[in-house]
Amino acid sequence: MPKQKLSPLPAAAFQILLSLADEDLHGYGIMRNVAEQTAGRMRLGPGTLYSSLQALVEAALIEEVDTPEPEPGQERRRYYHLTAAGRKLARSEAERLADLLRVARTKKILRGDYV
Amino acid sequence: MSEKIYAFLLRLYPAAFREAYSYDALQLIRDRAHYERGFMAKLRLWLDLLTDVANSIHRGFDAPQVELAGDIPSFHLLDTGSPRRGAVLLGTLLSVATLSVIPLSVGPSSTRHFSRAAFQIAGQPDMSPRNPQVAPAASDTHGGAVDRTERQRVVHTAAEYLRRYYIDPAVSQKVADALFAHQKRGDYESVKDGAAFADLLTKHIREASGDPHLDLVYSQRPLPSGPPPRSITNSAAYTKAMQQENCTFETVSTLRHNIGYLKLNAFADVSACQSTATAAMATLNNADALVIDLRDNRGGFGSMVSFLASYLFDHPEYLFSPRENPTRESWTRSPVPGSKFPGKPVYVLTSGKTASAAEAFTYNLKMLKRATLVGETTRGAAHAAIFHPIDEHFGMGILETKAVNPYADKDWEGTGIEPDIKVPVSDALETAVKHAEARLGKK
Repeated sequence: MPKQKLSPLPAAAFQILLSLADEDLHGYGIMRNVAEQTAGRMRLGPGTLYSSLQALVEAALIEEVDTPEPEPGQERRRYYHLTAAGRKLARSEAERLADLLRVARTKKILRGDYV
Repeated sequence: MSEKIYAFLLRLYPAAFREAYSYDALQLIRDRAHYERGFMAKLRLWLDLLTDVANSIHRGFDAPQVELAGDIPSFHLLDTGSPRRGAVLLGTLLSVATLSVIPLSVGPSSTRHFSRAAFQIAGQPDMSPRNPQVAPAASDTHGGAVDRTERQRVVHTAAEYLRRYYIDPAVSQKVADALFAHQKRGDYESVKDGAAFADLLTKHIREASGDPHLDLVYSQRPLPSGPPPRSITNSAAYTKAMQQENCTFETVSTLRHNIGYLKLNAFADVSACQSTATAAMATLNNADALVIDLRDNRGGFGSMVSFLASYLFDHPEYLFSPRENPTRESWTRSPVPGSKFPGKPVYVLTSGKTASAAEAFTYNLKMLKRATLVGETTRGAAHAAIFHPIDEHFGMGILETKAVNPYADKDWEGTGIEPDIKVPVSDALETAVKHAEARLGKK
């Protein structure tokens, strides 16, 4: 899939990048993390999850990493790792959202201190 | 069980996806089934799966992801591929069919009702000034033109704002009467251009009130609604931008005969620039005289005006600001420990661009006879008024406090501040240095 589908960054893709910020994860781990960090509002189904992962891998924002041989009785899993480019994109997206939030506060839609 | 059904459903996904990810997708289901136990969890799993299937199979993987932002669903396309031609054709046909059915089902009587409602909205705009913030603006893409409706709204709201916010109710009434008289006489009928209309209103408002601080402005770009943020200086972006520009302390140097030179192009907020300002003043501390160049300074924050002025006195001095009644912050925090500036000659260079906070700095030093002003008359923009948006394109500046000026009836609004030594802007620095040299006996 071409790169431009990540511009603007879809919410699911942004959440996936965030979920990988701390550690490498496999598909289910990412799904769990995304559900946690959105307080359950976004639960990625397999279709959305893996097509997003595919787009992100192709854009070199995340990469598949080698995992040790699974322990007996465990299935082999693909793990994903956030690349430097992915981290940078996630940061710029977060900054964009922060700007948006600032505008919302200026317009009295949201109250509180500036982020 | 769930896995088998899902494996069947997987056939509905696009082939490319199945090839690459069917193993992982099934694994994900197994994981969820394993970790998420209980009836509700199972129900949720199935709900998620069905949503996912519906999303994914639709148009291959052009599937929009649906998410709820508050109560409003928003869609993100994962693919840029366009839908098939057949689908577009079918969609068009369906839309046309649906739209043709609506008028038939609604019937002729309702249609008349609708058009009349539309006419009312267009013909009698809500001119209630009670809630001007939500008054409908002409449009976002304002071409600079104003129609009759908008002109009336602006006049009504301006009058209402004056009544509500201006310091002198009698003057508010006088201005409102004048504006309505002009409107009644049709003086505004021929003004189609937004900027020209704002200028004309400003002229009439100032004529009737005699107050140069009042103005009405037009902006082709939509103005933010609500009052401007109290302070932009909390923002990390502001601090960063200021630090990248060295807080606009463009030059800090020593000229011949140990005359200090400070070129400052804005009064940045102290919260972001205190250390820069302190360092600059420390660098200049041993100078025998100080030249402060404000020729390119268009203003900024009162906090920096007071911060820098504090260095020049050995005791607290009151700094007049047309923006506010005296507060504790209106006095300089003099003496500044270690500062050797008190008692030394100070020159302030001015130009026609020197404005706002830079004029406040200049005005107070002049009135306190603490500095010699060299250059040209300043801009004459006190910027003391508080901004009130009228709609998306018009706004009004109203002075809400009348701070007592200890030196004169009026401040510098509209007139500017006269220099002590009037020379062309380009000669100001040389003139100031020569005066300083003569005064220091070093010529």
